[in-house]
Amino acid sequence: MPKTPLVAVVDDDEAIREALCDLLMVTGLACSTFDSAPAFLSGDAPGHVDCLITDVRMPGMSGLDLLERMRAGGSDLPVIMLTSVLDPSARARALDLGAQAWLTKPVADDALLDELKAAIGAEDWPDEPGH
Amino acid sequence: MNAASPDEAAVSAPKEPLRAVPRASEPDIAEFASESVIIFDTDGAVHYWNPASEALYGWPALTMIGRGIGHLSTRSENEREHWRMLLQEGTWQGVVSRRTPSGIHIAVDIRQYVRFAQDGSPRDVIEYGRQSLSDGAVPAADWHIPDRLMAASWEIDVSASEKLIATIAGLRGEAGAEGQLNARYNELVKAARIVNVNERTMRLVGGNRGRDLMIGQPVAGFWPLESRATLGELIVDAMTSKTADATYRRQLPSDGILRDPLVTVWRAETPGRIYAAVNGTVDDDRSYMYLRASEARYRKLVHHMPVALWQVDASHMGRIYNDIRASGVTDFGAYLDEHPELVELAATTVQITDVNRAAVQMLGGASAIDLMRPVGYLFTVNRNALHNVMIGRFNGQASHEEVTKVETFDGRVLDVRMSVTYPKILAELDVTIFSFEDVTERMSMEAEIRQLQADFTHAARISTLGELTTSIAHEINQPLAAIVTNAETSLRWLSRDYPNVEKVKALTTRVAASARRASDIVQHIRGMASKRQPERVATDLNEIVQESLIFIRHEIESQSIGITTDLARGLPSTMADRIQLQQVVVNLLINSVQAVEAQSEGKREICIGTHLTDAGGLAFTLRDTGPGIPPEDLARIFEGFFTTKEAGMGIGLAICQSIISEHGGSITASNHPGGGAQLHFEIPVEAP
Repeated sequence: MPKTPLVAVVDDDEAIREALCDLLMVTGLACSTFDSAPAFLSGDAPGHVDCLITDVRMPGMSGLDLLERMRAGGSDLPVIMLTSVLDPSARARALDLGAQAWLTKPVADDALLDELKAAIGAEDWPDEPGH
Repeated sequence: MNAASPDEAAVSAPKEPLRAVPRASEPDIAEFASESVIIFDTDGAVHYWNPASEALYGWPALTMIGRGIGHLSTRSENEREHWRMLLQEGTWQGVVSRRTPSGIHIAVDIRQYVRFAQDGSPRDVIEYGRQSLSDGAVPAADWHIPDRLMAASWEIDVSASEKLIATIAGLRGEAGAEGQLNARYNELVKAARIVNVNERTMRLVGGNRGRDLMIGQPVAGFWPLESRATLGELIVDAMTSKTADATYRRQLPSDGILRDPLVTVWRAETPGRIYAAVNGTVDDDRSYMYLRASEARYRKLVHHMPVALWQVDASHMGRIYNDIRASGVTDFGAYLDEHPELVELAATTVQITDVNRAAVQMLGGASAIDLMRPVGYLFTVNRNALHNVMIGRFNGQASHEEVTKVETFDGRVLDVRMSVTYPKILAELDVTIFSFEDVTERMSMEAEIRQLQADFTHAARISTLGELTTSIAHEINQPLAAIVTNAETSLRWLSRDYPNVEKVKALTTRVAASARRASDIVQHIRGMASKRQPERVATDLNEIVQESLIFIRHEIESQSIGITTDLARGLPSTMADRIQLQQVVVNLLINSVQAVEAQSEGKREICIGTHLTDAGGLAFTLRDTGPGIPPEDLARIFEGFFTTKEAGMGIGLAICQSIISEHGGSITASNHPGGGAQLHFEIPVEAP
């Protein structure tokens, strides 16, 4: 049996973090949450997670800064940008940096899970539990 | 202040309807002559009868005006012949015999002169008289007429009380009926109506109400309470007397108006009427003349005052208050709340005794008489003001002032500033003065300005919200995003073969919490956006600052601006307008965010804090790391329409200043020596 994929969630809003984490869990994915970009970077998470979902506007370091930093450090981790910012230039920049997707809040669960599936790979994707 | 004829009234001369001779200079002078001065028309009817005549003959002017002198003469046929001769000759002098009210005849030296009109026809006759020295009289040493000789005269109608008088006459014969008799005498005085009074009566007891207001009224309303029974007794004496001309007199107790007054009563020729004459010295150290002169000056002054004035006689309420005070009541406001009937009593019985021209004009009355009523009509819109006036008197205040409303005779309601001056404690005269100043226009102007200010403040808030749309959208979108995800996750749990109810319960709880958060934010925005009247409620400055941060948090975060807050603990609450104070804080924060944003290099920081000032006020301080305020602009940044922003209206800081000064505080702007702008406001604490 393949290992359960691990997804990191970075958002300064606790309600969003918790909601996303629960959605991942019901899907059968494992989740770990961080309230800021530095909190995520400072641990060993970047080397262990299979995908990253991050907010864009956050105090201190933004989601774009985080993506840049990771790419600069040679990481090719799939990153999904989840934001309420409608900023075409920021979106273009994120996609240039190889972001998996740029999704706006509130996001439909299927849209997010489809992108996650694409990022993680169908072979590692867990069977929906309970069915 | 008789407004029926302002110019005449100004010199304090109530009209003397029974005097055909106009109040020219002669009678005025004759008023103080020690000699009897009488003016007759050419038919021999008395037109003027001076006080010395009253003293000499004992007949008050009231009973003599309009009548022929033959009435007092023993030989009326001789009088007619004498009169014809006089008009022919133009002058006469000699001794005549005339009858006094007590029936005694006295010899009088008289000199009569005919005055002629321009066409040579006789106009009137002036008679000077003094008691004939040959009659054994001692000439008076005084050059003027003492007060006690000048009678206060009354003509009284008791025709409606015939039965009562008969009953009393019957009771008099019975033993032990005294108590009952006393009550009947009082009843009689209450039923007796005033037909006419002379000027002295009017001045002594009429309280400047004027003769017109006394005529037709019950005698009891003007006659001192202590001697009403005595008057009743004398009326019965006179009415039941077998002799028409018999006089009845009695010394009365001093009553605060006259010292040792002597009252004389006799039957008039008109059936059912009696005359009463009261002689006595005014119970006052000042002489009648002095009083008259100063009163005339006073009345003239009052009449022409541009302020509306009411003179009120609340003396009987003063006595009631004394009794209430004596019973141990100290909180009169509470007492009145329990006894609203006392307020009603004041409204219906406290009499207005005088008003001036401005008062008549203010209320749109036709004449002063319209206003000379119990005070109730001044308090129809706001009865509570009367309540307050009464408390002021009870507490012994010198005056009371409040803004109230009064209804005019044509139904308009005016805003007035009412000032009440109470009589000094133990003053001789119990006179309360009400002055009303019409402030309707000023109030409506103030209301307009307040409205304009509220509109501006509102416009500024809307403009501020406009600058914050991105932030606000973000703030609301966050909880909505959480709700959507939580709801969809719940559906996933529910669609399983074995739905996980516990999970769904936890998620639903979160949905509710996020929805509430979104709703709270909407409430805040609605508060800021609503057009509302300022409203003071107990407010915590720290809460205001924290709520304000919600509006701009997103701006701060998206611009990577660091914000430090240093809120003092335990700050007292103060009565303030929450929305307006929040508007000030949000405004100051936005200005700083924009200033810091414009800064391309260096630290991006805003420090805000609250503290208690040495004076016990609440202070808010803000410092940013922006470029600061150009020194030349420092003095102008709180001015309206001053702006350095391209899209700015320039009302933000001006509104901030007006809001803070509305709260009794001050706001200042300066540059920090280490760079950046500093803004600081302080408001005093007004305990909720």
